[in-house]
Amino acid sequence: MSEEVQNRLQQEVEKFRTVQKDYQKALQQRQQLDAQLNENTAVKQELDLLKSDADVYKLIGPVLIKQDLEEAKQNVAKRMDFIRNELKRTDDFIATLDKKQDTHREALNKLQQQFAQTQLKAS
Amino acid sequence: MASKGQQIQEIDLSKLNLQQLTHIKQQLDQELNVFQDSLHTLKIAQGKFQESGDSLEKINSNSKGKEILVPLTGSMYVPGKIADSEKVIIDIGTGYYISKDIDGAKEYFKHKINFVTEQMEKIQSMGMEKSKIRDAVMEIMEERLRVQLAQQQLQAKT
Repeated sequence: MSEEVQNRLQQEVEKFRTVQKDYQKALQQRQQLDAQLNENTAVKQELDLLKSDADVYKLIGPVLIKQDLEEAKQNVAKRMDFIRNELKRTDDFIATLDKKQDTHREALNKLQQQFAQTQLKAS
Repeated sequence: MASKGQQIQEIDLSKLNLQQLTHIKQQLDQELNVFQDSLHTLKIAQGKFQESGDSLEKINSNSKGKEILVPLTGSMYVPGKIADSEKVIIDIGTGYYISKDIDGAKEYFKHKINFVTEQMEKIQSMGMEKSKIRDAVMEIMEERLRVQLAQQQLQAKT
Protein backbone atom coordinates (compact mmCIF):
# COMPACT_ATOMS: atom_id res chain seq x y z
CA MET A 1 0.00 0.00 0.00
CA SER A 2 2.67 2.43 1.05
CA GLU A 3 4.76 1.56 -1.98
CA GLU A 4 1.88 2.18 -4.33
CA VAL A 5 1.25 5.61 -2.86
CA GLN A 6 4.92 6.39 -3.06
CA ASN A 7 4.99 5.46 -6.72
CA ARG A 8 2.03 7.64 -7.46
CA LEU A 9 3.57 10.46 -5.52
CA GLN A 10 6.74 10.18 -7.53
CA GLN A 11 4.82 10.19 -10.79
CA GLU A 12 2.88 13.22 -9.72
CA VAL A 13 6.05 15.09 -8.77
CA GLU A 14 7.47 14.24 -12.17
CA LYS A 15 4.39 15.63 -13.92
CA PHE A 16 4.43 18.74 -11.78
CA ARG A 17 8.06 19.37 -12.68
CA THR A 18 7.35 19.13 -16.42
CA VAL A 19 4.51 21.61 -16.11
CA GLN A 20 6.76 23.92 -14.12
CA LYS A 21 9.40 23.72 -16.83
CA ASP A 22 6.83 24.52 -19.52
CA TYR A 23 5.65 27.42 -17.43
CA GLN A 24 9.15 28.84 -17.13
CA LYS A 25 9.66 28.48 -20.87
CA ALA A 26 6.37 30.23 -21.65
CA LEU A 27 7.26 33.01 -19.25
CA GLN A 28 10.59 33.51 -20.96
CA GLN A 29 8.91 33.60 -24.34
CA ARG A 30 6.46 36.18 -23.07
CA GLN A 31 9.28 38.36 -21.85
CA GLN A 32 11.02 38.13 -25.20
CA LEU A 33 7.85 39.07 -27.06
CA ASP A 34 7.30 41.97 -24.71
CA ALA A 35 10.81 43.24 -25.41
CA GLN A 36 10.25 42.91 -29.15
CA LEU A 37 6.99 44.79 -28.94
CA ASN A 38 8.70 47.56 -26.98
CA GLU A 39 11.46 47.83 -29.54
CA ASN A 40 8.98 47.96 -32.41
CA THR A 41 6.90 50.59 -30.62
CA ALA A 42 10.00 52.74 -30.22
CA VAL A 43 10.82 52.32 -33.92
CA LYS A 44 7.26 53.18 -34.89
CA GLN A 45 7.38 56.33 -32.77
CA GLU A 46 10.61 57.36 -34.41
CA LEU A 47 9.26 56.70 -37.91
CA ASP A 48 6.10 58.66 -37.15
CA LEU A 49 8.22 61.65 -36.17
CA LEU A 50 9.95 61.69 -39.56
CA LYS A 51 9.02 64.03 -42.38
CA SER A 52 7.63 62.30 -45.47
CA ASP A 53 10.79 62.97 -47.49
CA ALA A 54 13.17 61.52 -44.93
CA ASP A 55 15.45 58.67 -45.87
CA VAL A 56 14.77 55.31 -44.32
CA TYR A 57 17.03 52.31 -44.67
CA LYS A 58 16.56 48.70 -43.77
CA LEU A 59 19.40 46.42 -42.82
CA ILE A 60 19.27 43.31 -44.99
CA GLY A 61 22.23 41.08 -44.33
CA PRO A 62 25.30 43.32 -44.28
CA VAL A 63 23.87 46.13 -46.45
CA LEU A 64 21.47 48.99 -45.92
CA ILE A 65 18.65 49.16 -48.47
CA LYS A 66 16.77 52.38 -48.92
CA GLN A 67 13.10 51.98 -48.18
CA ASP A 68 9.94 53.95 -48.61
CA LEU A 69 8.85 55.57 -45.32
CA GLU A 70 5.23 54.53 -45.75
CA GLU A 71 6.25 50.99 -46.51
CA ALA A 72 8.49 50.91 -43.46
CA LYS A 73 5.68 52.21 -41.25
CA GLN A 74 3.30 49.59 -42.57
CA ASN A 75 5.90 46.91 -42.08
CA VAL A 76 6.49 47.84 -38.46
CA ALA A 77 2.75 48.11 -37.79
CA LYS A 78 2.22 44.66 -39.28
CA ARG A 79 4.98 43.24 -37.17
CA MET A 80 3.51 44.83 -34.05
CA ASP A 81 0.13 43.25 -34.79
CA PHE A 82 1.79 39.90 -35.23
CA ILE A 83 3.67 40.23 -31.95
CA ARG A 84 0.51 41.30 -30.14
CA ASN A 85 -1.26 38.19 -31.38
CA GLU A 86 1.65 36.05 -30.25
CA LEU A 87 1.58 37.77 -26.87
CA LYS A 88 -2.09 36.99 -26.45
CA ARG A 89 -1.47 33.38 -27.39
CA THR A 90 1.36 33.02 -24.86
CA ASP A 91 -0.75 34.76 -22.22
CA ASP A 92 -3.54 32.23 -22.73
CA PHE A 93 -0.99 29.44 -22.66
CA ILE A 94 0.46 30.75 -19.41
CA ALA A 95 -3.02 30.94 -17.90
CA THR A 96 -3.76 27.30 -18.76
CA LEU A 97 -0.37 26.25 -17.41
CA ASP A 98 -1.13 28.17 -14.25
CA LYS A 99 -4.34 26.20 -13.78
CA LYS A 100 -2.55 22.96 -14.56
CA GLN A 101 0.06 23.77 -11.94
CA ASP A 102 -2.65 24.39 -9.37
CA THR A 103 -4.40 21.08 -10.04
CA HIS A 104 -1.09 19.25 -9.86
CA ARG A 105 -0.24 21.00 -6.63
CA GLU A 106 -3.54 19.96 -5.13
CA ALA A 107 -3.09 16.37 -6.24
CA LEU A 108 0.40 16.40 -4.79
CA ASN A 109 -0.84 17.68 -1.47
CA LYS A 110 -3.47 14.95 -1.30
CA LEU A 111 -0.97 12.26 -2.16
CA GLN A 112 1.45 13.58 0.39
CA GLN A 113 -1.20 13.41 3.06
CA GLN A 114 -2.08 9.87 2.01
CA PHE A 115 1.54 8.93 2.11
CA ALA A 116 1.99 10.37 5.57
CA GLN A 117 -1.07 8.46 6.79
CA THR A 118 0.10 5.13 5.40
CA GLN A 119 3.46 5.66 7.00
CA LEU A 120 1.79 6.48 10.28
CA LYS A 121 -0.22 3.26 10.05
CA ALA A 122 2.84 1.26 9.20
CA SER A 123 4.80 2.48 12.20
CA MET B 1 4.67 42.53 -12.73
CA ALA B 2 3.36 45.66 -11.07
CA SER B 3 -0.04 44.05 -10.66
CA LYS B 4 1.60 41.11 -8.92
CA GLY B 5 3.12 43.46 -6.37
CA GLN B 6 -0.23 44.98 -5.64
CA GLN B 7 -1.72 41.55 -5.14
CA ILE B 8 0.91 40.78 -2.56
CA GLN B 9 0.27 44.03 -0.76
CA GLU B 10 -3.39 43.21 -0.38
CA ILE B 11 -2.64 39.98 1.44
CA ASP B 12 -2.37 40.33 5.19
CA LEU B 13 1.15 39.08 5.79
CA SER B 14 0.57 38.25 9.43
CA LYS B 15 -2.01 35.60 8.46
CA LEU B 16 0.37 33.58 6.32
CA ASN B 17 2.34 30.61 7.54
CA LEU B 18 6.09 30.32 7.40
CA GLN B 19 6.12 28.32 4.18
CA GLN B 20 4.03 30.89 2.34
CA LEU B 21 6.19 33.68 3.67
CA THR B 22 9.33 31.94 2.47
CA HIS B 23 7.72 31.53 -0.92
CA ILE B 24 6.86 35.22 -1.09
CA LYS B 25 10.34 36.18 0.00
CA GLN B 26 11.86 34.02 -2.71
CA GLN B 27 9.60 35.58 -5.30
CA LEU B 28 10.50 39.07 -4.14
CA ASP B 29 14.19 38.23 -4.22
CA GLN B 30 13.80 37.03 -7.77
CA GLU B 31 11.97 40.18 -8.81
CA LEU B 32 14.59 42.36 -7.17
CA ASN B 33 17.25 40.49 -9.12
CA VAL B 34 15.39 41.15 -12.35
CA PHE B 35 15.24 44.84 -11.46
CA GLN B 36 18.95 44.90 -10.76
CA ASP B 37 19.68 43.27 -14.11
CA SER B 38 17.38 45.69 -15.94
CA LEU B 39 19.03 48.64 -14.28
CA HIS B 40 22.42 47.34 -15.37
CA THR B 41 21.26 46.92 -18.97
CA LEU B 42 19.69 50.36 -19.01
CA LYS B 43 22.87 51.86 -17.63
CA ILE B 44 24.80 50.33 -20.55
CA ALA B 45 22.22 51.61 -23.05
CA GLN B 46 22.42 55.06 -21.50
CA GLY B 47 26.19 55.02 -21.85
CA LYS B 48 25.98 54.03 -25.51
CA PHE B 49 23.54 56.81 -26.35
CA GLN B 50 25.67 59.28 -24.44
CA GLU B 51 28.75 58.18 -26.36
CA SER B 52 26.98 58.46 -29.73
CA GLY B 53 25.64 61.88 -28.84
CA ASP B 54 29.08 63.05 -27.70
CA SER B 55 30.79 61.92 -30.87
CA LEU B 56 28.34 64.01 -32.89
CA GLU B 57 29.84 67.09 -31.25
CA LYS B 58 33.02 66.41 -33.19
CA ILE B 59 31.27 66.57 -36.57
CA ASN B 60 30.56 70.01 -37.98
CA SER B 61 30.54 71.66 -41.40
CA ASN B 62 34.36 71.84 -41.33
CA SER B 63 34.60 68.10 -41.12
CA LYS B 64 33.81 67.54 -44.78
CA GLY B 65 36.63 65.82 -46.65
CA LYS B 66 38.65 65.30 -43.49
CA GLU B 67 40.40 62.02 -43.02
CA ILE B 68 39.17 59.58 -40.42
CA LEU B 69 40.05 56.04 -39.48
CA VAL B 70 37.17 53.68 -40.01
CA PRO B 71 37.14 50.64 -37.74
CA LEU B 72 36.73 47.41 -39.69
CA THR B 73 37.02 45.35 -36.54
CA GLY B 74 37.64 46.41 -32.98
CA SER B 75 41.37 46.51 -33.61
CA MET B 76 41.79 47.17 -37.36
CA TYR B 77 41.25 50.47 -39.12
CA VAL B 78 41.33 51.78 -42.69
CA PRO B 79 41.68 55.47 -43.61
CA GLY B 80 38.65 57.19 -45.07
CA LYS B 81 37.28 60.63 -45.87
CA ILE B 82 34.08 62.12 -44.53
CA ALA B 83 31.87 62.47 -47.60
CA ASP B 84 28.85 64.00 -45.94
CA SER B 85 29.24 66.03 -42.78
CA GLU B 86 25.64 67.15 -42.68
CA LYS B 87 23.87 63.87 -42.16
CA VAL B 88 24.32 60.73 -40.14
CA ILE B 89 22.47 57.44 -40.26
CA ILE B 90 21.06 56.17 -36.99
CA ASP B 91 20.06 52.65 -36.01
CA ILE B 92 16.57 52.97 -34.53
CA GLY B 93 16.16 49.26 -33.86
CA THR B 94 14.69 46.16 -35.53
CA GLY B 95 16.97 46.64 -38.54
CA TYR B 96 15.69 50.09 -39.48
CA TYR B 97 18.07 53.00 -39.99
CA ILE B 98 17.12 56.61 -40.58
CA SER B 99 19.15 59.48 -41.93
CA LYS B 100 19.11 62.65 -39.84
CA ASP B 101 20.98 65.93 -39.86
CA ILE B 102 23.42 66.55 -37.01
CA ASP B 103 21.04 68.61 -34.90
CA GLY B 104 18.26 66.10 -35.42
CA ALA B 105 20.57 63.29 -34.41
CA LYS B 106 21.67 65.15 -31.28
CA GLU B 107 18.02 65.67 -30.46
CA TYR B 108 17.38 61.97 -31.02
CA PHE B 109 20.10 60.88 -28.61
CA LYS B 110 19.07 63.42 -26.00
CA HIS B 111 15.54 62.12 -26.26
CA LYS B 112 16.72 58.52 -25.92
CA ILE B 113 18.89 59.29 -22.92
CA ASN B 114 15.96 61.00 -21.23
CA PHE B 115 13.74 58.04 -21.97
CA VAL B 116 16.23 55.55 -20.57
CA THR B 117 16.84 57.69 -17.49
CA GLU B 118 13.10 57.86 -16.88
CA GLN B 119 12.82 54.08 -17.09
CA MET B 120 15.71 53.73 -14.67
CA GLU B 121 14.01 56.01 -12.17
CA LYS B 122 10.80 54.04 -12.48
CA ILE B 123 12.60 50.77 -11.85
CA GLN B 124 14.48 52.24 -8.92
CA SER B 125 11.31 53.38 -7.19
CA MET B 126 9.65 50.04 -7.93
CA GLY B 127 12.68 48.26 -6.54
CA MET B 128 12.55 50.36 -3.40
CA GLU B 129 8.88 49.46 -2.93
CA LYS B 130 9.68 45.78 -3.38
CA SER B 131 12.55 45.80 -0.91
CA LYS B 132 10.26 47.48 1.61
CA ILE B 133 7.78 44.63 1.20
CA ARG B 134 10.64 42.18 1.42
CA ASP B 135 11.80 43.76 4.68
CA ALA B 136 8.29 43.50 6.07
CA VAL B 137 8.10 39.83 5.10
CA MET B 138 11.49 39.17 6.66
CA GLU B 139 10.42 40.85 9.87
CA ILE B 140 7.33 38.70 10.18
CA MET B 141 9.35 35.60 9.36
CA GLU B 142 11.82 36.38 12.13
CA GLU B 143 8.98 37.01 14.52
CA ARG B 144 7.46 33.64 13.60
CA LEU B 145 10.74 31.87 14.11
CA ARG B 146 11.22 33.51 17.51
CA VAL B 147 7.75 32.42 18.62
CA GLN B 148 8.38 28.90 17.39
CA LEU B 149 11.68 28.71 19.17
CA ALA B 150 10.16 29.96 22.41
CA GLN B 151 7.42 27.37 22.16
CA GLN B 152 9.92 24.60 21.58
CA GLN B 153 11.94 25.67 24.57
CA LEU B 154 8.82 25.77 26.67
CA GLN B 155 7.88 22.28 25.52
CA ALA B 156 11.35 21.02 26.26
CA LYS B 157 11.11 22.26 29.83
CA THR B 158 7.75 20.67 30.62
